[in-house]
Amino acid sequence: MSIKVGIDFGTSNSGVAVYDGQHVKLLPVDPKNVLPEVIKTVLYITRDYRASIGQEAVENYYRDNVNRQRRFVKHWTGEIDVYGADMHYVQDVFVYVDELQPGRLLQYLKTALRKERYAGTQIFERYFTVGDLARTYLSLLKQRAEDILGEPIQAVTLGRPVKFSESQEQDHKAQETLRQAAHAAGFREVDFEFEPVAAALDYEQSISQPQNVVIFDFGGGTLDIAVMRLGDPRRREVYASGGVDIAGSDFDRTIIEKRMLAHFGLGRVKLHPEIMEMIHAVPDWMALPYLGTPINKNILDKAIQAGIAPIQVKALRGLIYNDLAFTFYNRVEAGKIALSSDGATIISLEDKDIALWELYTRHQFETDIQTYLVDVEKVLLDTIARSGLEPGEIDAIVKTGGSSNIPLFSEMLARIFGAGKVKKSNAFTSVVAGLAIKAKM
Amino acid sequence: MSSFSHKIDEWMKEAEARPESAVTIVKLIARRLRELTERNEELLTENIALQNGTRVEEYQKRIAHLEYQLDLLKRRFGADESMLAELPVSPAEAATLSLLVYNNYGRILRLEVPADALSLGRILDEKLASSEQPRLLVVPSNEEVLMLFNSGRVSTHAVGNIPTVECGGTWPWEQAALPDEPRAGEMLVCVAPLSHLPLSELFLQVSRRGCVKKTMTSLAQSILGNRYLGKSTLQKLDQPFDVILCQKKDSFAFVTFEGHLLGLDVDALPYSAEERIKLTASDYVIASFVPHPEQSMLFVTQTGKVIQRDNLEIAKSAMSRGQVLIPPGRLEQGVRFIGAAAVRDGDRLAVLDATGSLTVHLAQALTGSGSIEAGSLILSIGVLPAEANS
Repeated sequence: MSIKVGIDFGTSNSGVAVYDGQHVKLLPVDPKNVLPEVIKTVLYITRDYRASIGQEAVENYYRDNVNRQRRFVKHWTGEIDVYGADMHYVQDVFVYVDELQPGRLLQYLKTALRKERYAGTQIFERYFTVGDLARTYLSLLKQRAEDILGEPIQAVTLGRPVKFSESQEQDHKAQETLRQAAHAAGFREVDFEFEPVAAALDYEQSISQPQNVVIFDFGGGTLDIAVMRLGDPRRREVYASGGVDIAGSDFDRTIIEKRMLAHFGLGRVKLHPEIMEMIHAVPDWMALPYLGTPINKNILDKAIQAGIAPIQVKALRGLIYNDLAFTFYNRVEAGKIALSSDGATIISLEDKDIALWELYTRHQFETDIQTYLVDVEKVLLDTIARSGLEPGEIDAIVKTGGSSNIPLFSEMLARIFGAGKVKKSNAFTSVVAGLAIKAKM
Repeated sequence: MSSFSHKIDEWMKEAEARPESAVTIVKLIARRLRELTERNEELLTENIALQNGTRVEEYQKRIAHLEYQLDLLKRRFGADESMLAELPVSPAEAATLSLLVYNNYGRILRLEVPADALSLGRILDEKLASSEQPRLLVVPSNEEVLMLFNSGRVSTHAVGNIPTVECGGTWPWEQAALPDEPRAGEMLVCVAPLSHLPLSELFLQVSRRGCVKKTMTSLAQSILGNRYLGKSTLQKLDQPFDVILCQKKDSFAFVTFEGHLLGLDVDALPYSAEERIKLTASDYVIASFVPHPEQSMLFVTQTGKVIQRDNLEIAKSAMSRGQVLIPPGRLEQGVRFIGAAAVRDGDRLAVLDATGSLTVHLAQALTGSGSIEAGSLILSIGVLPAEANS
């Protein structure tokens, strides 16, 4: 008999779990990670199309890429027809390709699912659609889970946010892409459960009486809220659900925009639109890899020689051309996480050509993300209102997802519902545990 | 400046909102201050070095060494600067081969070897068989050589500057050149080709008792500048034996008097001297070389017996006895090894026997017959590479 598992395919982290009817077993799918039950949602694909995931992918990426040599060659990619008033001619189009690039590291795969304009990416000679990327990741994750369980996995309950997208069409498209990817990865049977509902199922194991519960699932990619009646499996009910595209990756981006760009020349480089464009692309993890062209390098080299904010521009060049972007985003994220427990932290990056140091306090962070707080509170109160319940009728708030640990949001929940009602679940594993329970139902 | 003041204001606000954060902020700033102070000291030291000229001197030395390496390359490739710019060039444009015969006293006889010569001449030395055996080295005449003394001292010399002796003649040691006379208590232990230095990663040294040590060639500037490479020995009575230039990925082999062959992976070798073979009290290293995949290995005994091996087995343990080349019975009969080398098809061997005669033999013919025809006990061998004759 084949096993059915629950998989939380998260924006930043993923996980696999099975439920035997009494206990949930979280599978240690990433033995190299600090928490082996949590695996980073990153995928590394080499030039010869060998793929790796999780910490292994990160290690492979670091080993192959950081401070490596580059060699750009001009590749013909096609031609364009140019029409003028009384003329028409065809022009060849070339791109510069780094022929020494050993592999591509891809992260935020789930965010890519809900981006309307992001259909896929070229990885060396092949084009990978978003579905291909998800399929590659899921098949490797499935393989790891099968190796642990020692038997094939044929069925899966996948978690999904309440809304992949505000657009219903895009929401449906994202779920179907994920379903096809799961089938292509080898799962014969695929069903979905909302991530906050899954977290609720996990929480339900710990209560003895029926309760009105708000699940506040605030992860790397989205905020998902569900207002539910839990405690009696025969009368389990979702009163209302809601969500918004605000989460950890947006906070990282905000920190970079507000605090880090000065280290790369913002405010000091003026009248150089090409460099300004590169600086403004730094927070965009999807755009940064494409900046590494010989033309841009030439522009940056000339600026350094001309003494235009040379330290900052050198740091920008190092970030782009020494493949330090992944390290940089990780440092920013680590700084943000540290502020959940500390009042101040350091975001630093010291490498070739870069010596970045920023003391960042919780007060600064909270100021920077204040606008998000307003939006989150609005969505939360809207969802509660749609459930027909008053905040006073809510018995418990279950927080899950990494961003739910940010004190600003914990304080908001405590202010609205009362501190005693805010329950903390395991931020990274409660969803996958609930998905495993759902898979058994 | 104003943005920094703004930052400080923000830090103050954090300290006001959560007083416990003040301690963290002070700690983080203090740590940064310490880092910056250290960095500042480094920069000040650097500044002093720049101002008083030591840094300039250092760079001048470095430039001089790079020029020296470039000179080596030019000579090695027989190219001028315009040709070097068009590298890769084909190696060694048929330079004449020089056979260097050298003894412990620093005496070097240099012969330019004709392509078809079978007999090269004779060394006049009555004590040749009883004293420390001379060693043979064949190098292109445009080569640069490194002389290693038992004190660990080194010196470099251009082969072209060593006077030649006439091929086919007889020569007493007094006729031999003395490019660098050993100092009191010193002995010349080996002469090694050096022009590959810019293309090599490591100096590899081996001692008579089988201690090995590698040194990065990036240190060549200070080694050649200070004229000191080191002895690669652990015991007082041990002596350095050989130095070879090689790459990290190479294999290294050495052979002992009593017929033990040890193969080592260069990358796994230590940077400080380490004993890698268990030798009996009377045994010692008599040959070392870096075999390449297309080469076979020849091992020669005193009586002229030639043993051929194609594959080198790499020792797995840090301390090994090595592969045995002859059965123990032969060893008891007194058979001992005097030389070994890695050869290609077409290479020739220069052989020095106890009468002082220097003869040349085709390596293929030796492996076919299994022995070297010599008038007396064989003392030493050297390889005349085929490619340099073409």
